[in-house]
Amino acid sequence: MMIINDLKYALRLLSKKPGFTLLTTLVMAAGIGLSIYLFSFFHTIVFKAMPFKDSDTLIQVSSSQNAAKMGSPINLHDYYEIRTKLKGVSEFGAYRTANLNVSGRDGARRYSGVLAEPNIFRLTRTKPLMGREFSNESNRVGAENVVVIGYDMWKNQFSGDPDIIDKSVRINSESYKIIGVMPEGYLFPSNTALWLPLREDATQISRVNSGNVVGLGHLKEGVTTEHLNPQVGLIMQRIAQQYPETNSDISAYLSSIQGADENGIEVIYTMHIIAILILILASINVGNLLLSRAIERGKETAIRVALGAPRSRLISQMLWESILICVIGAIIGIIILIWGLDVTEEYTKGFFPDKPPFWWIFGIDGYAVKMLVTFILGTIIVTGLLPAWKNSSVDFNAVLRDGTRGALGKKAGRLNSFLIISEIFVSMTVLIAATAMMVGNFKATRADYGAITENVLTAEILLTESKYTTPEKQAKFVKSIQSRLENTVGIGDVMIASALPGALTTTPAIALEGKEYNENKGYPRANYIVVTPNSLEKLGVELIQGRYFNSGDDGLDKSTVIVTDSFAHRHFGKSSVLGKRIRTAELDGDSPKWLTIVGVVEHTIQGPSYGEKGKVPSVFRPFSQAPRNQLTIAMQVKTDRKEATKSLRQTLLSIDSELPAFRIEEYQESLTRHTKAMLFITSIFFLFGVAAVILATSGIYGVMSNAINQRTHETGVKRALGATEGRITKEFLMTGIKQLLWGGIPGLLAGSAMGFAMSSILSISIGDLASVAIGLFVIIGGTVIVATYIPTKRALKLEPSDALRHE
Amino acid sequence: MSDVLIKLDKLTKIFHTDEVETHALSNISFTINKGEYVSISGPSGCGKSTLLSLLGLLDTASKGSYVLAGHDVSDISKVDRARIRNRQIGFIFQSFNLISDLDVEENVELPLTYRSDLDSKQRKKMVKDALEKVDMGHRAKHFPSQLSGGQQQRIAVARAIAGNPAIILADEPTGNLDSKNAEGVLALLDKLHAEGATICMVTHDSRSAMRTQRKIELLDGVILADIKTSNREKVAIMAEVKKIAEEVNV
Ligand SMILES: Nc1ncnc2c1ncn2[C@@H]1O[C@H](COP(=O)(O)OP(=O)(O)O)[C@@H](O)[C@H]1O
Ligand SMILES: [Mg+2]
Repeated sequence: MMIINDLKYALRLLSKKPGFTLLTTLVMAAGIGLSIYLFSFFHTIVFKAMPFKDSDTLIQVSSSQNAAKMGSPINLHDYYEIRTKLKGVSEFGAYRTANLNVSGRDGARRYSGVLAEPNIFRLTRTKPLMGREFSNESNRVGAENVVVIGYDMWKNQFSGDPDIIDKSVRINSESYKIIGVMPEGYLFPSNTALWLPLREDATQISRVNSGNVVGLGHLKEGVTTEHLNPQVGLIMQRIAQQYPETNSDISAYLSSIQGADENGIEVIYTMHIIAILILILASINVGNLLLSRAIERGKETAIRVALGAPRSRLISQMLWESILICVIGAIIGIIILIWGLDVTEEYTKGFFPDKPPFWWIFGIDGYAVKMLVTFILGTIIVTGLLPAWKNSSVDFNAVLRDGTRGALGKKAGRLNSFLIISEIFVSMTVLIAATAMMVGNFKATRADYGAITENVLTAEILLTESKYTTPEKQAKFVKSIQSRLENTVGIGDVMIASALPGALTTTPAIALEGKEYNENKGYPRANYIVVTPNSLEKLGVELIQGRYFNSGDDGLDKSTVIVTDSFAHRHFGKSSVLGKRIRTAELDGDSPKWLTIVGVVEHTIQGPSYGEKGKVPSVFRPFSQAPRNQLTIAMQVKTDRKEATKSLRQTLLSIDSELPAFRIEEYQESLTRHTKAMLFITSIFFLFGVAAVILATSGIYGVMSNAINQRTHETGVKRALGATEGRITKEFLMTGIKQLLWGGIPGLLAGSAMGFAMSSILSISIGDLASVAIGLFVIIGGTVIVATYIPTKRALKLEPSDALRHE
Repeated sequence: MSDVLIKLDKLTKIFHTDEVETHALSNISFTINKGEYVSISGPSGCGKSTLLSLLGLLDTASKGSYVLAGHDVSDISKVDRARIRNRQIGFIFQSFNLISDLDVEENVELPLTYRSDLDSKQRKKMVKDALEKVDMGHRAKHFPSQLSGGQQQRIAVARAIAGNPAIILADEPTGNLDSKNAEGVLALLDKLHAEGATICMVTHDSRSAMRTQRKIELLDGVILADIKTSNREKVAIMAEVKKIAEEVNV
């Protein structure tokens, strides 16, 4: 009954001042909506459990290079070694992703597949919808070709044929028997359409020739990846000592599959902190508005107390106001949130060449609800606490007797100071971290990869091993496709490479002639890229010294190489590099094949431009000397993109009917994929930055003017005693500046520390950070000064006699 | 008796609130000489505080002229007004109006800090003297909230006299005090007057008014009476006051 009355009273108060109510509710909606959005977003992409049993103990084993976690596969031999030596993990398994050409009635299509050890489905506690899983027998080298297909492929490629089991399908030009169909939505490990047995045994294959795999396993009870990673590191260190040619600088680590402990987690934690700070900012602002209302109602409250209202009732009334504002704000926030998450789901699809991981489902899930309840309670406490605190410290008798401020003045002054300093601290921290992140992202999106990327169409081609059995056949294919495409109308230059600038590639260990390598001084690594002659030139990778490849470099018996100037500089310093010889460290066969450097080109970035990847130097080989079965074709489009795509498909078909070109896209598009996620996070951050600026400036202004307003009477006294307006203004400004320093300098440090933590991932230099910090200090300082000056001027407009009468 | 300190000529104050015009004061003319002890009395709302605000340059008159110590101050700049408030006028308010963040010493020193002709040592000396005059020297480091109302008002008196103003303006200085504390403050003002101070005190308590030399009575913004308080009356009142004080003390 009491509660209903208090609720009614609070409702009446709120409806009496609709502007005030709207403002506070919207501030709360923004605060709650934004912060839950951020928590929810990162939870989905980094921490969310995968939709099957025991997914919380499922881990992967992947490689790190120079202590940077790469998340890429490790050598099968390394995996075997870890599997036998590592305690604490059970049910080891391994897989490798592979792009597979699956032939159907209407030509071949490419799917992302997985070659896995037989326990892959057991690891994820999922049984096939139809048919059976892999037997241990099926994984034997040389065993029968079998495949388990995904639900989508079954539905689309095979029209949901109920008798699909034991039928056969052509994959990479070989026949496979379908033994199972996985249930709908099962796409483990990421977006897999079909699964084949790995059929590789490390004991039967050399380290150099064996492929790489990602290890899987379940943590035993009570152990964490942090416990085990030093052990893994030691195992890998021993291998590196034994096999420096393949393993120098290479280590491995266990991590959750979602990537919660990859590099970049600093950025994510920073964003979480910022989300909380924004929420605090919003709460302080609303709390301050409620506080100023409580002060306005001071006399009324005093009368109520005098009439015998218990203090708890007063606090309850005041809390109801907070509850209403926070809950209504949260409801509005959630509506915005749902919409925001929808947009996010659409947008995040663009981060990936194919599809995002299957567990990325954005929406209000259990986690979001949990955060929401926590945040609402938190904001109610913060917003309700300020007025309640203020209220409980009022000397009601004094208020009633004559309105003297008495002992209250000091406490109120301190509370105001505390509020202003917190506002300044929080906004400084948020803005510096947010701006630093934006600067870093912005720089990443404007990186020079080293190639001309406009009007270029790229496509990937995978030469099936069963058909292109020899290097000669591969080289021949490349020659003919290049010449045929170049003679096609609408297509200009054609470039073929194992990886274009901007694309990730292998980074083998390299040995320089005349240098000794041992346990202490491991082999350096470089991007290893194979290109057809002229491709570098046509791509616009500029020559600095020597020459590009030409027809004289053709032939498996030749051994020439072009290096980037970053490579030359790092390994040869200022001395001339032309004519020097290098080789890959791992010996393929028995005798080392030394490669003569014939040219130096500008640095190309292979992979994303930010972080360490962008700095790795590269070496280029002619395609005819070292053919590959996976290659990228880049074509200059003269007229129409659609026409060019059609020409490409036709040309391919005329050479080999089972060879699809996949991921046909504009060069720019593939490059923006590196930064798309960044750009997205940057725009979220921008949104947060804007919200922070609005909340911070309006908040600082609100609290400041409130504080100065409360001092109107004191100003009157001082003026009566002869203080000039200039003097009063100066006093307030000094107080403001003091508060700016108290809140601003720690905020400056905290924000810079967060920026610094991110600088290893983003390309943020100390100089950037310093200019951001100084710039924002000036802006916030300006805000504080304006927020002091305007209310002061207003207070001084009153005649001193009026100011003295001011309540 | 010819030493004129204040000369008002047809001073008028009109307040405009919403559509209402309040004639708080109409054509007030009088002079106050140096060393005089004047009371302004009248019913609530008759314009006493308004008059005192004008005298203290806390507000500007709508019409009329005001000459203070030979200078026309009716139309001077804000900075000059602040300077005159600081140097020539000492205020005592009904609700003390001490600054709660400052201790007693700092409160008394406050108006002195607005002056550029005093160094810290001079200020400290003036504060010490003023506090001794009001018998509060032992409370220099206390904060207002730690003092009783009577003590706070003594501090306010010390603050008013610290800079040796030409006139002390007091607006119902005993209004918030019990009779014993009120008597203490009034005795203090008597003493200051005896030492030569010019005092103008607003009060609606006729007994307080009788203690002064001259009583100006206001009604609805006009002067109703301006009379010298006779000695006889005064002696009678002082005797009565003494009796009450003794009773209270018992
Ligand atoms: N700032 C103001 N605005 C409007 N009216 C005022 C103002 N100050 C005083 N008044 C009015 O002027 C008249 C005189 O007020 P005041 O001098 O405070 O009276 P007193 O001090 O004698 O009780 C009253 O009617 C009061 O309402
Ligand atoms: Mg009055």
